Amino acid sequence: MPTMRCSVLVTCVALAALSLPLRAQELTLPLKKNSVRFAVIGDMGNGSKEQYAVAGQMVAYHSKFPFDFVIMLGDDLIGGKDPEDYQKKFELPYKPLLDAGVKFYATLGNHDVSNERFYKLFNMKGQQYYTYKKGNVQFFVLDSNYMNPQQLAWLEKELQNSKSAWKICYFHHPLYSSGAYHGPSVELRHLLEPLFIKYGVQVVFAGHDHVYERVKPQHGIYYFTEGASGELRKGNLRKTDQTAAGYDQDRTFMLVEIAGDEFYFQTISRVGRTVDSGMIPRVAKTAASWPKVRPGPGGLPDRTVAKATGVKLTGAPTAAE
Amino acid sequence: MKRRIQVTHHLLWLSLLVFVVPGFASHRRQPPQDSEAARDFKPFLDRVKAYVKMQKKLEASLPALKSTKDPAQILERQHALATEIIAARRDALQGDIFTHEAAERFRKIIHKSFEGRAGHLARRTMQQDTPFKVVAMHVNDVFPENIPLTTTPPTLMLKLPELPPELAYRFVGRTLVLKDIKAELVVDLIPNALP
Repeated sequence: MPTMRCSVLVTCVALAALSLPLRAQELTLPLKKNSVRFAVIGDMGNGSKEQYAVAGQMVAYHSKFPFDFVIMLGDDLIGGKDPEDYQKKFELPYKPLLDAGVKFYATLGNHDVSNERFYKLFNMKGQQYYTYKKGNVQFFVLDSNYMNPQQLAWLEKELQNSKSAWKICYFHHPLYSSGAYHGPSVELRHLLEPLFIKYGVQVVFAGHDHVYERVKPQHGIYYFTEGASGELRKGNLRKTDQTAAGYDQDRTFMLVEIAGDEFYFQTISRVGRTVDSGMIPRVAKTAASWPKVRPGPGGLPDRTVAKATGVKLTGAPTAAE
Repeated sequence: MKRRIQVTHHLLWLSLLVFVVPGFASHRRQPPQDSEAARDFKPFLDRVKAYVKMQKKLEASLPALKSTKDPAQILERQHALATEIIAARRDALQGDIFTHEAAERFRKIIHKSFEGRAGHLARRTMQQDTPFKVVAMHVNDVFPENIPLTTTPPTLMLKLPELPPELAYRFVGRTLVLKDIKAELVVDLIPNALP
């Protein structure tokens, strides 16, 4: 009986992918040779039909943009944690991707349990926080539910030793967020941001607020919130002067391509609408001025990127603060 | 004269080490400064050590936990370990690990950490998380998997005694729980730890 249920669900994902209108698969990413390609999802593990629809879009895009891995920003399994939940909330929606050899690298959210780190398909290798490399990119995956001094010391050591051109951190709680429900984790920002600045982290991803948001660069660091790949708080984004782009009307996921010194991103809604896209150039961490996001086609109109110079070390407060 | 200069140089270097170096490592642990606090925490830390020793011994009798594609194996292992620990600690009581003196010291540190501007940030960290119906907890209870975790304020953790990786400080409502993260068990707790 469970096998039959599996087949029905997989068929649903496949049908959802096939029934997408052609415009839904417009790709703004350059598909450069030897680039690092990945997808980003957050707060997805609720087993809802919307999670399956987003997964369907990811499958559809994978055929045009063959990404090698997916980063998961936490709340990977919301609610129950029985073996059936692992199936319903992870294995089935992403089955076509898993079958295609796409790897998933998870971080833990506030709805996850510590022992999920032993689940092989999350690639955490039993660790609460860990690091891995893909080409010229090193990823630092943190447990923002429990940022103890050991983890901070580990992060500093790993960042210090990193020789990668791109340093990307991801964890569950956003350091900047215009989401009205949760908002930014200011205390965590006080501890993490000085390390990001010191060791040249360029991009940070988080979830938790069930919206999509790209924040104007803070001290040269680009912050993305992608917390709507299954869950959604419709209309919850209270855009501030820190918001570069945001979307809170439907579920979303991101596609990212890093080619040399260029970081391309495209954010796609459940129905295949591109809600944000652009390119971030890599600059030396000591550069006097921060780069602007060069808009890509199909994104929302709000493209203003303010220079972050002169902002206090801890960042300017948002309305939510 | 030469010897006096040498001594002065040594003293200068020593003061540099004492006053300047810790300043650079501002995010690092600031363990309880006074000997009174260290004295109050000693029995707590000794009991934590004894708990982890027992946990490791019980764990050794179970199949090793490795990354697996089968979530049932992870859960079975977690339940088996929890069952062993509960049996080994069937007489355990609240306060066995958080001794009275340690609990009082924890409350003082926590209350102080929630005062002023820094305290405002710590309070915000906790308020930010998803609200849930607080459940009463007891020693040897299985930590409820369906309630969202409340973030333990990171600046508070800089002030609390360091725990081994097998254990974690967790807040459930106003209660501070010492949690076994492998067995998902409540090891001990301090009610009304939060102001």
